[in-house]
Amino acid sequence: MFVIFPVLQTLYISFLSPSGEFVGLENYYDVLGSKDIVNLEGFPKYPPLGAMIHNLIWIAIHLPLSLFAGLALAIILRDVKGASVVKSVIFLGMVTPLIVGGIMLRFTFDGQVGILNGFLNFLGFGELARTWTAYPETALFAEVFGGVWLWTGFSMILYSAGLATIPKDYYEAAKIDGASPFRTFFRITLPLLKPVTLVIVTMTVLWELKIFDLVYIVNKVGGPGKSTTVLALEMWSRFVYRYYNEAAVIATFLTLLTLVVAVGMTRYMVKK
Amino acid sequence: MQEKIELAITVLVLVSIIVSASTLWYGMSIIGEVSNLTSNVADLTSTMVDLTDELSSLAETVGASLEKLENITDRLKAIEDQLAPKPTITVIGPWSGAEREALMPVLYEFERRTGINVRYRIYRAEDLATLLPAQFDAGKTPGDLIFMWAWYVKDLGPDGDALNVTDLVDEADFAPGAFDPVKVDGTLYGGAYTGKVKPGFWYRESFFEENNLTEPETWPEFEELLYNISLIPSIVNPIATGDGVGWPISDIVDHVLIANGSTQLQRDLIAGNVNWTSTQVKNIFNDTLVSWLKAGYFSEPIEWTTALDLWWGGDYGLYFMGSWITGMVDDPGDLGVFSLPGTEGLVFCADYCFIPTYTEYPDEAKELFKFLISEDGQAIQVGEGGHIATNVHVALEDYPPVDRGVAELMEGMEALLDLDDTIGGEFQTTFWDQLQYLWVHPEELDAVLAAIQEKVP
Repeated sequence: MFVIFPVLQTLYISFLSPSGEFVGLENYYDVLGSKDIVNLEGFPKYPPLGAMIHNLIWIAIHLPLSLFAGLALAIILRDVKGASVVKSVIFLGMVTPLIVGGIMLRFTFDGQVGILNGFLNFLGFGELARTWTAYPETALFAEVFGGVWLWTGFSMILYSAGLATIPKDYYEAAKIDGASPFRTFFRITLPLLKPVTLVIVTMTVLWELKIFDLVYIVNKVGGPGKSTTVLALEMWSRFVYRYYNEAAVIATFLTLLTLVVAVGMTRYMVKK
Repeated sequence: MQEKIELAITVLVLVSIIVSASTLWYGMSIIGEVSNLTSNVADLTSTMVDLTDELSSLAETVGASLEKLENITDRLKAIEDQLAPKPTITVIGPWSGAEREALMPVLYEFERRTGINVRYRIYRAEDLATLLPAQFDAGKTPGDLIFMWAWYVKDLGPDGDALNVTDLVDEADFAPGAFDPVKVDGTLYGGAYTGKVKPGFWYRESFFEENNLTEPETWPEFEELLYNISLIPSIVNPIATGDGVGWPISDIVDHVLIANGSTQLQRDLIAGNVNWTSTQVKNIFNDTLVSWLKAGYFSEPIEWTTALDLWWGGDYGLYFMGSWITGMVDDPGDLGVFSLPGTEGLVFCADYCFIPTYTEYPDEAKELFKFLISEDGQAIQVGEGGHIATNVHVALEDYPPVDRGVAELMEGMEALLDLDDTIGGEFQTTFWDQLQYLWVHPEELDAVLAAIQEKVP
């Protein structure tokens, strides 16, 4: 009741005008056809490219980076003494509330007090220092890379658990057969981690589609110039400004996207 | 026969004598009786008068006693009221830190005077906007008196979500037009608390003295000032750009439009009578902001409290901010401020509050509402610094010296509404967002103005 009813109600009001008349797909044409959602005018260009494209950029950059960073860290720390301490530190990003994470990101990329600029100054690239989240060219990417830092702990922990389930015998047999570490990784480790990878990919894509809090904290309105806005933020802003029908359209669209990913992955895993 | 006649006459005479004597005697006795009766009536009347006097005196005594009894009952009721547990009402406002500390004395004084307890909770307007619709739909409210955007209150009123407070306000006690942003067809749905003036560019007097700088009187002098500040080695940029969600950049733009355009232009932009893409507006942007941005006179947007510290620390020469800055620096006495040359109006931005229809304590909330907008309530708030009263009865002596200077700055100036706060809605966030964009890409002016115009309601 607490899930189905709100979902159906949201779906219902997405077909209504603000005055309550049935308008069919008109709201969908208006909202999903607006520049706020897809803005490829003058492409190729730096953001703003529209909320949906920004979500896709999140998936395209954040997913592989957090996936591979997590896998690399899990493998590197596999048999290291005291690895659990290091893993806990890395996992902190995951347990940190995203509100706090967002504030940390803001300061990390700040032109005056940011650690990134401090690092650049240290390396002698002081002229590059700037508030990375204030420029449309870099704001979205700053948030995505910040998201990698926060999310890597998740994939690292799952990969670590997955690695622990692979019997040592496989590696010993491969070693006896003279397989190189490279070949061992691609022929043994990676295939056996496939179920874990699927879980990580599913969860990460869902997170990237729903991303809101981090973006909201770094720049409340998805700016500058809408260069960091995402679907959930667009939904929120329409709700705040009492365009409930438009907010319902984005909510429905977002639900459909996440459903496609979640159902697709679940079916694939069940099949396997 | 003669004898009989004489005897008859004699008898008749005797009878007459007897009858007369009897009548006389009886008459005398009646007169005596009447006299006695009269005397008795007189006595009775006298007794009645005495009795009436006594009764009257008794009635007075009883009346006085009743009055005393009534007073005692009233006192007892008052004592009972005082002893009875008072409700706690919740006030929601956006102020935290130093700004919260400045508000609390007002609430404490209200508690002291009324015995009504007040709980203060911090919610920014943006967060309330997500919270209130669902709460109101459910007939509930998170607060009994809420500070919120004026345009939002104006929307809530006719929807039946905010109480009509027209009877609680005498607009003659307030700055002209102070209540307009929360008025719908003559009905008030909110109140104007104290406000802030956005007077112009602040500087440290000691910094100006050290560097032989003076306040500009003309536009060329202002540009010369910016240039001279930019030559000071320790200066990163002449002007620090504070940023939050796009505000306070929007305040700078508002001020420039008023100074370089006119107060009428600002009102026309609010009313939608002038387009943002018009030549007039575009020229103002090009001649001032875009030109200054390209010359590097503004810093990139910096989180506004960080920008304040950096400016105060000497990294920047000027800082555009509202009058609340006086409560945020170490030495308000070192503060100087000037408006751009030609400015005939300053933005006066009141804080607006309303009472949700769904409050459990409407009477208590109304009491607080009345206190907040009263002379007494506002005098306490302005005394804490950084605020300017909307109630015209608050005396200049109630202000700290530096705020008195700000209040005096308003003299001869037209008090204007804040441009983006008044329009509100999606326009406001787009305005903020696009100005952030303009600050780092001044060459994109046309696209920025077009995007802003697109969201004009």
